[in-house]
Amino acid sequence: MVGSLAQPTHLPPYFKLRKVSSKSAREREREPSLFAFAMPDPFLNELTSMYERTTERGSVWVTLKRSSMKSKAKRNKMTSAGETIEYRCLVRATDGKKTISTVLSAKDHLRFQASYATILKAHMSALKKRERRDKKKAGDGQTKQEDLKKPPKKSSS
Amino acid sequence: MVYITSWDEFVERSIQLFRADPQSSRYVMKYRHCDGKLVLKVTDNRECLKFKTDQAQDARKMEKLNNIFFTLMTRGPDVDISEVSGKEQSEVQPTKKGRGRKQ
Repeated sequence: MVGSLAQPTHLPPYFKLRKVSSKSAREREREPSLFAFAMPDPFLNELTSMYERTTERGSVWVTLKRSSMKSKAKRNKMTSAGETIEYRCLVRATDGKKTISTVLSAKDHLRFQASYATILKAHMSALKKRERRDKKKAGDGQTKQEDLKKPPKKSSS
Repeated sequence: MVYITSWDEFVERSIQLFRADPQSSRYVMKYRHCDGKLVLKVTDNRECLKFKTDQAQDARKMEKLNNIFFTLMTRGPDVDISEVSGKEQSEVQPTKKGRGRKQ
C-alpha cells in the first residue's frame, strides 16, 4: 500500500490502489521466474510436491500454452525469411506463491502427458464420486450415468 | 466469464477457440483440494470459456482433454484429432516394408 496515492472512495475497501511498477505486465511475464524452465521430469516432481502441499488449503493452477519461445521480432523475421517456426508447449504451474514451468516439444509431450495424467489421478482425490443408488437398484454398486438423468420408471402393477 | 454446463460443449468450443487463435489461447486448470473443486478455463484473451466441477468423472474427461490440448499445442492446431488412442495411429509407420523372400 502506498500512502501517496489517493484511495478511491467509491470502490469497496479491498480495491486499494498500488503503485504500478515501471515494468509492463508483459515484461514482468517474460522475466525469468525462479525456475527458469525446468526439464519436464524435475517439473513433474515439483508439481507433485505442490499438490501434496496444498491438500489442507490453497489451489494449484496449471496453464498450458503454445509458444515458440521466441520474441515477436524474431518470429516475424523468421516468417518473412520463410523459415518454419517450431512451436512448443509451455506448461506452468503455481500454488499462488511459487511458479514452476517447463517446455515440451512434440517428442516430449507423449511421455509427459502420461506422467502428468498419473499425477493428476493420484492427487485429485477430493472430487466427488457419482454414486447414485436408486431405490430399485439398492443392491447394485454403480448405476449408469444415463440413469441419473432419466430415473427408471417404476412399473406399477 | 462464461461457465459452460455441458462438458461436450465446453470441449467443442474450446478446441474451436484454440484453433482460431493458437498463438494467444491458453488452457488453465485450477484445482482446490480443500474445496474439492476443479475449474477449467480456455481463453484467447478476448473470449473466455470456463467449466467448473466437483465430480471425479469430470476429472477423467479432463485428462482426455489434456491430451487433446497437448497434441494441438505441440504438433500444431491443424492436427487431426480423433480420440486419444487414435492420435497415435496417425503416426504409426508401416512395420513391414519389405517382403521376405524365400530362397
